[in-house]
Amino acid sequence: MDTSSPRLRMSILGVVVLGCFLALFARLWYLQIMEAPALAVQATANRTRTIATEAPRGRIFDAKGRVIVDNRTSLIVSIDRNELKKVKNRNELIARLADVLTANGTPIKISTIEKRLTEKQADQLQGAPIAADVTEEVIHHLSEYAEDFPSVSFERKTVRVYPYGTAASNVLGYTGRITAETLKTLEAGSDPDGVVKSYHPDSIIGLAGVEATYEKELRGTPGVELVQVDSKNRPVGTESYQPPKSGNDIQLHIDIDVQIRAEQALVDRLAVLRGTSQRDGTKRGAPAGSVVVLDPRDGGVVALATAPTYDPQEFANGISQDRYNQLQNINGASALIDRSITGQYAPGSTFKLVTATAALSNGLIDGKSSIYDDGVYKVGNPAQEFRNSGDQKNGNVNVVRALTVSSDVYFYWLGDRMDGTTLIQDAASAFGYDKKTGIDLPNESAGYVLTKAEKKALHNKYPTAYPNGDWYTGDNVQLAVGQNVVAVTPLQIARAYAAFANGGTVYQPHVVWKILKPNSTPSKPSDVLRIIDPVVTGTVTLPPDVRGPIESGLEGVTGPTGTAASAFIGFDLSAFPVVGKTGTAQVDGKADTSLFASYGPAVAPRWVVTAVMEESGFGSEAAGEVVRHVYELLANQSLTGAGTATSGTRD
Amino acid sequence: MLQQSISSRASNRSRRDPTAPLRHVDPVLISCIVILSFVGLIAVYSATRGPGPDFSKSYLVKQSIFMVIGAGALVLFAAVDYRKLHDWAWVLYGATTFLLVLVISPFGSQSHGAQSWFALGPFQLQPAEFAKLSLIGALAFLLSEFRGDIDLRRLVAVLATAGLPMALIMLQPDLGETLILVVITMAILLVGGLPTKYIVALSLVGLIGVLGALNSPVLADYQRNRLTAFVNPGDKSNKALYNIEQSQQAIANGRLTGQGLFDGPQTKLGFVPEQQTDFIFTAVAEQFGFVGSAVMLLLYGLLCFRIWRIAQVAKDSFGTYICVGVLAMFGFSAFENVGMAMGIMPVTGIPLLLISAGGSSTITALAALGLVLNVHMRRFQ
Repeated sequence: MDTSSPRLRMSILGVVVLGCFLALFARLWYLQIMEAPALAVQATANRTRTIATEAPRGRIFDAKGRVIVDNRTSLIVSIDRNELKKVKNRNELIARLADVLTANGTPIKISTIEKRLTEKQADQLQGAPIAADVTEEVIHHLSEYAEDFPSVSFERKTVRVYPYGTAASNVLGYTGRITAETLKTLEAGSDPDGVVKSYHPDSIIGLAGVEATYEKELRGTPGVELVQVDSKNRPVGTESYQPPKSGNDIQLHIDIDVQIRAEQALVDRLAVLRGTSQRDGTKRGAPAGSVVVLDPRDGGVVALATAPTYDPQEFANGISQDRYNQLQNINGASALIDRSITGQYAPGSTFKLVTATAALSNGLIDGKSSIYDDGVYKVGNPAQEFRNSGDQKNGNVNVVRALTVSSDVYFYWLGDRMDGTTLIQDAASAFGYDKKTGIDLPNESAGYVLTKAEKKALHNKYPTAYPNGDWYTGDNVQLAVGQNVVAVTPLQIARAYAAFANGGTVYQPHVVWKILKPNSTPSKPSDVLRIIDPVVTGTVTLPPDVRGPIESGLEGVTGPTGTAASAFIGFDLSAFPVVGKTGTAQVDGKADTSLFASYGPAVAPRWVVTAVMEESGFGSEAAGEVVRHVYELLANQSLTGAGTATSGTRD
Repeated sequence: MLQQSISSRASNRSRRDPTAPLRHVDPVLISCIVILSFVGLIAVYSATRGPGPDFSKSYLVKQSIFMVIGAGALVLFAAVDYRKLHDWAWVLYGATTFLLVLVISPFGSQSHGAQSWFALGPFQLQPAEFAKLSLIGALAFLLSEFRGDIDLRRLVAVLATAGLPMALIMLQPDLGETLILVVITMAILLVGGLPTKYIVALSLVGLIGVLGALNSPVLADYQRNRLTAFVNPGDKSNKALYNIEQSQQAIANGRLTGQGLFDGPQTKLGFVPEQQTDFIFTAVAEQFGFVGSAVMLLLYGLLCFRIWRIAQVAKDSFGTYICVGVLAMFGFSAFENVGMAMGIMPVTGIPLLLISAGGSSTITALAALGLVLNVHMRRFQ
């Protein structure tokens, strides 16, 4: 065969060309028919971008339906510091930005921008906020001349507004940008309720207080816009849009009036006491304290005050590291700790409620059993002496009088008699002192009431921190007056007194009362999605022969011979009888912790009010005064019929 | 019958003379040219009008002008007896060689890193496009002179003739156009009777040359990336892959029947780069689907088949070689351009003749088809 014949060569050429076309057809079939579905998905992903719009969070109402946390839109201009490093004419850019802001209603100096840029953010991921609440004109200018402003960005943020300022900030908490770690735990499917509210790296999340515990209710469903973009990522149209849905509103048991009164009384009293000397000459630091107001009928938290405190508004647009550090040391105390639920204090004489209950219900004494109190109680051989506060001699005292005048000697005697048993610890446990209250706020602490076995275990575990593992009679004597081997939170004290006030039911304290529809009117019953029912966590058995003597004793405390008499001078106890107990817990090397636990009115109690104040001295002079101020408001509400909404619709 | 009715209005001379050129116009080839040119205009417009609402017509208007000029060139190259080209082949070759030298001098202009065109007001003249046609003329002349008797000395002469414009175009640099010249030369040598031993030897040299070039500094990194992207589709570091991915997604998006005219989102939104030229096929495929693009490829195949047939029925070997050269030019540009868009050929920027936007390439393509028609018309003279 002649391999160079023109006919053959033409045929070869034809076959080659035909082969090429067949290859093209095959590939075309493969791409458009066989692979098309898979490739089309890629293509769609390629030309669409999902833009999530944060939905407004639900609002928060107080018990009387007043808005205490609201929303508003804020336009924020910020600079990405990493991007700024890449900008060539950095200084010109900043000057240009200052000009634009100043010319459009947000006067700002170049030096201010530079300062904001150097401020360390508590949240390093966020761009440095340069100006908040800028005008729409600024935004128009920045978006129109975007090329002139590299690294500068703006966002429309729904931010929280607090019409009552810092009031209840410890309860309300604050929101902030979600952290990368949190985001991971919230990925779709991990939500136990199956409510996937798609968080993304810019999402705002509740970081403290009810903002955190009721995140699921408060967080709205973000709007999702599927935007078609061109090859340069410029939006050219919308493929689908699902508008954002506001989160549910919530209503608290908190009465903002009572809350403000409690906070103010606390702060004022701490300021008065700070720097003065208590009876033994120790300087009062009076740095911090807390007030708890509970509804003993259902565990509703009417007020929860802590001092010092912070302004949640400062967190709304990102807080500087300097300010954050500052907040951790105000007069030697951190403003970021809610002492009412995390502070652990020796309860002092307020604990005598527990000791008396243990002694009476186990038949060690009855209401009339008395001893002679000469100011000193001796234990063991050689004798160890335990003294009354100020070495006061109270003469013949029974349990009623011992409570009224706070005879430590009487309770030292009870502690001595109950040594070798766990009767006090058992009673403490019944009142809920041995575990967390379960309040719907984050980071609650539990107190401790040590037993012989627990002390031993602690010693074995931490030999240096607890050098002595043996249980002495002295320990039980101290326990009887709420010292040394016992520490509790202010909320636990309030809950125990609430249980005594209502006849023995131990409730789980609750801040949130109702979950409401988005954009609700709290007074409209149809807007209520659900009511958080009271939860009973235990009971204390309080038959009349137990409760009677204790009640009588506590009633006397605010009376003329009681330890809180001075605090209630001028308060109309006949119209609004207050029942309570002072406490003065000794702290080594510092002024005493001042405590007052109470409830009122004495018959059919509606409020439990307790105050605990660090390094503030005698029970009545610090905590007693604060509690009295709170009662002034409550008594007024009670007498004028302006009761809290909590009591209005319950029962 | 059909031919008679067409020619009934022709001159008296042609009615009487059965060998008259006008009696032997190839209507199938002309139909293919008209339809493909029309498809090209639609494709170019859809790829360049933008997402709107102010649709741009500038590419459509320009391409229409080129089509009209190209139609003129086609008539001219069909009307004058192609054998006259026998005398003019070297003049054309010399003129385009001069332009190829001139374009890499400061008189030429640059874009996309290649100095390949002259700015003539709003139009751009790309001498490399014309070089294809002049090389076909020169090689057809040489091989028809050799009459199938090619020794090493003659082979060297042919390779030198082809090598000069190739070298000049590589200096721009334009790999795609150089490859077309290589294919044209190979096709004409094959049909021109190059002994099989030389074909084997040239193929070996070519293979070694390609492998060597890929591993030597002769090619810039971007060229190497483009050439190898289709071999390693998983290599995310290769920028050229983005274009291939986008174009394949656009093609796949067409499915069986297409998204409809002006409704191809990838096309409309400008995801496919250089869509009016190198990736024009994606516009056709996304908007008209498998059905539409297969029909277009069939038309292209039919066009090639007609050229192949004309090469066989040509009166003389000069005509045959011209047709073979034009066949190589169309066949390879279709295979390379469409193959690249579908990811089975390396990325080299060459136009899909008659479809892609571009003045020089459109006019050259139509002129070349004019020559083929010429050969067909004069096969009995």
